[in-house]
Amino acid sequence: MNSPFSPQPADHVPAELIVDFDFFDMPADVTDPVQIWHGLVRNGTPPIFYTPRNGGHWVFLRYADIVEAYRNHEIFSTRKAQIPPLEPYPVLQPNGVDPPEHDVFRKLLAPMFTPLAVRRMTEGLQVRAEGLISAFASKGRCDFVTDYAAKFPTATFLELFGLPEERLPEFLRISDTFFRATDPDVRAANIQEIYAILEELFRDRNPGSDIASTIVQARDAQGNQHKWEDIINCGFLLFVAGLDTVTNTMTYVWRYLATSPDARRKFRERLDDPSAFMIALEELMRINAVSNIYRRVTHDCTFKGVEFRRNDRVVLPNTVANRDAGVFNDPQTIDLERKVNNHVTFGMGPHRCIGSHLAKREVMISLQEWLKQIPDFEIDRDEAPSVFGGPVMGFESLALLW
Amino acid sequence: MRVVANLTVCQGHARCEDLCPEVFSTDAVEGKVVINQPEFPPELEEKVRLAVRNCPEGALRIAKGAAA
Repeated sequence: MNSPFSPQPADHVPAELIVDFDFFDMPADVTDPVQIWHGLVRNGTPPIFYTPRNGGHWVFLRYADIVEAYRNHEIFSTRKAQIPPLEPYPVLQPNGVDPPEHDVFRKLLAPMFTPLAVRRMTEGLQVRAEGLISAFASKGRCDFVTDYAAKFPTATFLELFGLPEERLPEFLRISDTFFRATDPDVRAANIQEIYAILEELFRDRNPGSDIASTIVQARDAQGNQHKWEDIINCGFLLFVAGLDTVTNTMTYVWRYLATSPDARRKFRERLDDPSAFMIALEELMRINAVSNIYRRVTHDCTFKGVEFRRNDRVVLPNTVANRDAGVFNDPQTIDLERKVNNHVTFGMGPHRCIGSHLAKREVMISLQEWLKQIPDFEIDRDEAPSVFGGPVMGFESLALLW
Repeated sequence: MRVVANLTVCQGHARCEDLCPEVFSTDAVEGKVVINQPEFPPELEEKVRLAVRNCPEGALRIAKGAAA
């Protein structure tokens, strides 16, 4: 494979910065995927290092460097940043383009995801959460991933896009392949499949108030519909950004709460105080950052004394930034009263997750409804879950009992 | 005392609104910070300071004295 975005050979990387590290690979003894990242920090790995795996890429391990990479789109671009590199690959809108081009679709989407817009969705989210939970609450057990965490955000997505809920299994499968597959043929076929769905979704659309209709009906500065390719690529972004991330964040949160009666009690005590509930939830967002974010270097340059070449790929592991001892007091401890909590779970800078308010509200409402129906629960230790790495980390299953 | 925002730097995290809704909200178009009462009362000072320290982008600042 060779394209204008293919990385160059890594002969610019000094030997002392090379570490053999595969973030898709989970060794058999790993029970929590974030461990492989924190293991790097514990072992004294250089804070900016290069691994030849997955096409070769850099990894940043310091909060300050990760934040700087998020903010400096002139060096660290989101465009064609896939790892392993893959072509053809769509330029996602707006995440795959940098400012100022980025502003067009960002501004188009922004009103649909403001805190105000998301608050208006509250009742619908509550009804969905309550319905899903009451379907298994009396059984005394569930697989949290299958029965809840995968269904809830996907069903929310389908509703936002004006699609029927019957398509849930199809969307779950496609999203899973998108984040987990490393085989180039499987990945190419997956992208084709997503494209076919989006084409069908946006074409001949009966105008409604859903997100897809809003994107189709939007007009550019000249009063024309946006380019069809950009419309599809905006749908692509929303598809890949809002499903798996929320599923795995929820799974992490519930996995922790299942082992901490004290934390469950604190959240139950805050059921009538959404503001206090959200502050505590913010700490669970910090400690359970599931995304490892990609950037592509735009030109040969030196950053923090390290030489980079155009098209070098960079991974920004949010979980590492969020537990940087230079930024957070007692960073490995979950402190639901933490006062200052500038975590990077939703990124920073111009590409900050536009759906963060929806994501947080999905988790908040799910937890509120859950604690009302299932105040206490634990992990079924007889079923060992399998874990996965990659750009979104998580668990294939989480068996809960109550 | 009053609080001021740099809207170029604000990326709409809305942490300030979560922490001190009396003083901060976000607009309905871009989701960026709106300061409802720039000259906040002393009883809100602790909350405002907390919101300022929790702005991930460093877009908020407390300025002494009234607006010019």
